[in-house]
Amino acid sequence: MPMPGALEKELLKHIPKKPATEMYPFVKIEVPEGYRGKISFDIEKCIGCGLCAKDCPAGAIEMVDDERTKLKKRPKFIYSRCLFCAQCEETCPRKAIKLTQEFELADYNKEAMIIDV
Amino acid sequence: MSIEKRTFKIPVGPQHPALKEFENFTFTVDGERVIDVDFRIGYTHRGIEKLAESKTYIQNLYLCERICGICSAAHQGCYAQTVEELAGITAPPRGTYIRTLIWELERIHSHLLWLGIAAHEIGFDTLFMLVWRDREVVMDLLEMISGNRVNYAMNTIGGVRRDISDELKHRILKGLDILEERTKYYKEICMNEQTILVRAANIGILTREQALKLNAVGPTARASGVDVDIRRDDPYGAYGEVPFDVIVYDTCDVLARILVRVDETLECVKMCRWVLENLPEGDIRTKFGRKIAENEVVGRVEAPRGELLYYIKSNGTDKPERLKVRTPTLANILPVCEMLKGGYIADIPIVLAGIDPCFACMDRALFIDESSEKKWVWSREQLRIYSIKWYKEHGHEVVRERWKQ
Amino acid sequence: MEAIELLLLLLKLIVFPGAIFCIAYGWFLEWFDRKLYARFQNRIGPLLTGPKGLLQPFADFVKLLAKEDITPLGADKLGFTAVPLLSVVISLFILLFIPTYSLTGVLSLPGDLLLVLFVSTVFGILIMFAGYFSGNRFSIVGTERTGLQFVAYEIPFAFSVISVAAAARSLEIANIVKYQTVNNLPLIVCTPIAFVIYLIASLAKLEKIPFDIPEAETEIVAGWQVEYSGRKLAFFRLATDLKMVFVSGFAAALFLAGPYGPSIPGLEPLFYTFWFIIKTLVIMFLLSNLRSLFARYKIDQVVQGFWKYLIPLAVLQILIVEGLIFLGIIP
Repeated sequence: MPMPGALEKELLKHIPKKPATEMYPFVKIEVPEGYRGKISFDIEKCIGCGLCAKDCPAGAIEMVDDERTKLKKRPKFIYSRCLFCAQCEETCPRKAIKLTQEFELADYNKEAMIIDV
Repeated sequence: MSIEKRTFKIPVGPQHPALKEFENFTFTVDGERVIDVDFRIGYTHRGIEKLAESKTYIQNLYLCERICGICSAAHQGCYAQTVEELAGITAPPRGTYIRTLIWELERIHSHLLWLGIAAHEIGFDTLFMLVWRDREVVMDLLEMISGNRVNYAMNTIGGVRRDISDELKHRILKGLDILEERTKYYKEICMNEQTILVRAANIGILTREQALKLNAVGPTARASGVDVDIRRDDPYGAYGEVPFDVIVYDTCDVLARILVRVDETLECVKMCRWVLENLPEGDIRTKFGRKIAENEVVGRVEAPRGELLYYIKSNGTDKPERLKVRTPTLANILPVCEMLKGGYIADIPIVLAGIDPCFACMDRALFIDESSEKKWVWSREQLRIYSIKWYKEHGHEVVRERWKQ
Repeated sequence: MEAIELLLLLLKLIVFPGAIFCIAYGWFLEWFDRKLYARFQNRIGPLLTGPKGLLQPFADFVKLLAKEDITPLGADKLGFTAVPLLSVVISLFILLFIPTYSLTGVLSLPGDLLLVLFVSTVFGILIMFAGYFSGNRFSIVGTERTGLQFVAYEIPFAFSVISVAAAARSLEIANIVKYQTVNNLPLIVCTPIAFVIYLIASLAKLEKIPFDIPEAETEIVAGWQVEYSGRKLAFFRLATDLKMVFVSGFAAALFLAGPYGPSIPGLEPLFYTFWFIIKTLVIMFLLSNLRSLFARYKIDQVVQGFWKYLIPLAVLQILIVEGLIFLGIIP
């Protein structure tokens, strides 16, 4: 007949072990490479085609006028709406958009969460 | 003088610590026994099907992923494979193998999460904490592969988006070893710990006939002796080549549901190992044009909770004409009402958790008017306008009815 | 009575080992229990309030005092307000009988074992009143369950204590402790079954897993406590902590020879307090271990289990003790 208390050995083994809790935010967490964090944009490579804005599912990219690109437009990223899906990184024909490993993006001010180079 | 028996109704939900998402069940009880169950769903209706009609096929990939947090890969994979069928393209073999790997890793994740929740529902907080500590292993693996711990977004139309390098393969295999050892330990605990057995054995019975009649799907049906699994009956992805067993138990109670899921987790580990060992070389995606000709397709996968069905209709543009999702929890709600009748109040949380409810998946409001045989689907905005009008006319009656006793 | 004796008595009643010591020790035991429970589960437990989280129970108490105190319309005003206060008063009262640093507690009467048992029973009845006066569906279900559990655990608890009294041949706590020190025989050796039954019944008394059915969080949303908030809830939790002190102190007095142990002559009260703390911590360790080991039982299984298994075992224990006394094995 099964007795209660099947976990006892496991419990006693845990007392001398280090706890499994990560002491974030006092200890920084390492994220793997390939992690989808904040967007980084390189204006040098952009041609202004607007494909990233067409493909963004969340409406986080808007095209604004700019003289520096070939088609005279460039994207403006509103990363408070961003889903971090990396579709823009995939669609961009010149690889101008990359997702970095930064994930501590909380802010008090929604207007400050815009990348507008 | 006659003593009249009074039963009273206990509402569970919409907000209740037993439910992680909002639904409303009204139990008619007599002391500790449940006599009748009445349920009301629709609290998390978000209008996804309507929203999908105004977004392109590529944007809908990320919308469908967010229908459910824990079966996100199943939703996205089913959508991707249905649109591939719609457009008439096939994903290359390496792409389908990686897609299958993500599906199986997600099944491990979902079943381990469920085991913790089930332990929490019966008051076994220690097991809950230990299982969730081990779930971190599979979440770290998925983070290494896809870049995020939930909502992996690995699928795209035509294949997958990221490849698996050899070094990553070794780390996944090591992680799978840890998961297998811990899952075997938990299976032993579930079968031998007396306090779990008294709470889960012979509780929430759903006989085989009832399961067939009420259309139960997934592990709920397999725990009642119904041998159904879309991966074997209607192979998709790489499941035609991966060898695996379908786990069926026939004791029809909550303990069977626990054991079905734990055994399925062990099967998933084996399947992931096979897929990694036999990963074919080649591309991971094929090209996909933006517009799709007129067509309509039904696609289905075996999500961790059961059979997930997608119906998509295209009309020649780059946006779908109609997207319809039928999730497994919707099919399992009627069986759960049957299971709850005749039990105790103390059994309600564990029986409800036994079907692994994902209420966020299931709220799509379909209205069927029996008298005129009309069917229509409403978005959230339309529902809201209708309900405000209706309550203005009938509100006070409803309030009086509800608080009558 | 002379003024200085009066002052000493007041000091004993209020500071040590009276109200302030008991309340502070109750908070310390709650911290100890939560830390151990967390360590068993490979987690950390309270960490940041005070050194290593020691002030966490105190911070919880202060926070609850500052919260809004709502009395529902359907509740019986007088009863609703009186029950938390009465719980704290009764817990402090029975704590006065537990020996903490000498042979007797602050108070001692012949037959005080029965008095302590009776007053601790009143505590269970107060919980039923707490649920009943709330006027809420969930609390009525909680009251039903408390009542059933009360019927289940009170009798084994009383029997285990009685078997100890039978071995020591006295109904006064001071005499039981004296018996153990005179014969150098902690009564746990003579009555081990009673010790196990006492531990299980005290888990039910304190409403901890596996017997926390009356306040099962996932089923009936905190049961009888559901309508209490603010100051009243703070007092209920304080009463629970004091019950923990009572249960472990009582076990130490009955089974482990009270506060006695090796000491330096002259510094006796200090050392005896130290041994008292060590013994109660051992009992709390066992209770925390049992708490993290099981799932929660259902109410009918609890009642059946206690009546089918624990009561016959307790009666058996009393018979064994009587037999051993008859044969002269126990002095």
